[in-house]
Amino acid sequence: MRVLLQLRPSPDVVAAVADPSVSTSAADVTDALPGVVVDPSFTPVVAPRPVPLAGGDPLSLNQPLMFSFADDEASVLVRGEISDDEISTRVTLLPSLRPDVVGVFADPVIQRSLTCGGTPPVGDWRDVERLLHVAELAREGLDGAGVALAVLDSGINAAHVARRLGRDVALDAQRSWKPSGARGEAGEFPVDHGTMCAFDALIASPRASLIDVPVLLSRRPGGSALDGLLSDAVAAFAHLRTVLEAQPTASRSLVVTNSWGSFSPGWDFPPGHPGNYSDNPAHPFNLIVSSLEQAGADVLFAAGNCGRDCPDGRCAYTSRPITGANSHPRVLSVGGVDIRGERVGYSSQGPGRLAARKPDLCAFTHFSGSRAFGDDEADSGTSAACPVAAGLVAAIRTVWPSSRLSPSQLRTLLRRTADDHGDSGFDHDYGYGVVDTLGILASLRRRARRSVSACS
Amino acid sequence: MLLITVRLPPDATLAQAMRRLKLPEEDVDTDYGLVLIDPDQGLYGLRVSEAAARRVAPKAGGGPYSDPRIEPYGPPG
Repeated sequence: MRVLLQLRPSPDVVAAVADPSVSTSAADVTDALPGVVVDPSFTPVVAPRPVPLAGGDPLSLNQPLMFSFADDEASVLVRGEISDDEISTRVTLLPSLRPDVVGVFADPVIQRSLTCGGTPPVGDWRDVERLLHVAELAREGLDGAGVALAVLDSGINAAHVARRLGRDVALDAQRSWKPSGARGEAGEFPVDHGTMCAFDALIASPRASLIDVPVLLSRRPGGSALDGLLSDAVAAFAHLRTVLEAQPTASRSLVVTNSWGSFSPGWDFPPGHPGNYSDNPAHPFNLIVSSLEQAGADVLFAAGNCGRDCPDGRCAYTSRPITGANSHPRVLSVGGVDIRGERVGYSSQGPGRLAARKPDLCAFTHFSGSRAFGDDEADSGTSAACPVAAGLVAAIRTVWPSSRLSPSQLRTLLRRTADDHGDSGFDHDYGYGVVDTLGILASLRRRARRSVSACS
Repeated sequence: MLLITVRLPPDATLAQAMRRLKLPEEDVDTDYGLVLIDPDQGLYGLRVSEAAARRVAPKAGGGPYSDPRIEPYGPPG
């Protein structure tokens, strides 16, 4: 067990440790302590003595105190290790054997607290751009040009996205679609969640054509201001199928990003009921997801914000919160990491309900980006991670349409090249790891070389 | 309202689906219409009232299926 040892050496040693111009080590403070392996790499630290005010209780810390760094009152801390099976004996005996040892304290492992909802942004979108190696993607011609990127969300405000990115944005109004009853025009919706998703998708694929599909603006009975019904998503996917089939077979590319889901089993038939959605691959929406993917679309879903460490307050599933199409075997389920590569505490963990190995992988979230929710607010949630990954997929599709690399092959490539985090190999926190652009590029180059040699 | 599915020939219309299932207009979300779910299977979906869904789903061949509310995943609160 790692311990901190509080020692009271002679006043001149205390003075030396306290003097920043003097270099000291543990060996200067103490010689060998029985049963303790002193850590020579830890520079000793002076600890002040708490002193009660005049007339105070000399044994209480719960009173006004002064802290003395006087050489004859302060102590020195060094770090060491005591064998686990001797810890209680050593802690009891050390002070009696060695009068200079005045205390032995635990030195627990401390970790950075996880990024959670409401915590400030970690880095900004330029960091994400750097981590995604967007410059390298562009050098290989992978910038999303000509690739249709559908954002199924609350609608896009293209002017806001262009302003924040500092460049023009391609919005394909003709192929955009909205549920009946939703008010507003493609690319002109109020700045909200969908605008954030569009911004984040364009980080890696700056020249992709956005298709605006505001499924979360349903005005159907049962819907509210910023939600929709799954039937709207069924209709949206049917529309996207027509978009895909209108493209020439040889150059088909459609990337569909979905940063939404169903939070409550109360809105669904129970698992086992033939009409259930969350656990039922035969539900019409799960069927149409399969159908669109089979036709050549890359479908990405956010894993959700129901991670055990700090779940969204709306999460009502008591277990396995990656449900329905968010856990579909033919989609990429995307969890979230911050720009340090650490899983954000709200990112939902697997196993998924339709496919157990979920999430598939993680992408970056919780950074300052679109400012869709205010200047100080992060682009957060797996809501941001999903379009970040979708943008990377759209970039790949610039040169690799689904006729050259099927959606299934692309998912495999992304999983195989992901930067492994957490447990070795797949785990239910990070999936196969964090998206790794350089690994993807290397793999695509190998694939291109194989294609050339096969042709020749 | 719930979702049901029905198998119909290619390019089927909502009117055809309603005739086939003997569904009156007041039981059908006509704004939603008839949605092609899987062209390879000739599978279509439509939104109907709960009572109609339970009545016609057995002969329609699919459903009734839930039509749960969906919400954005963020910002987490």
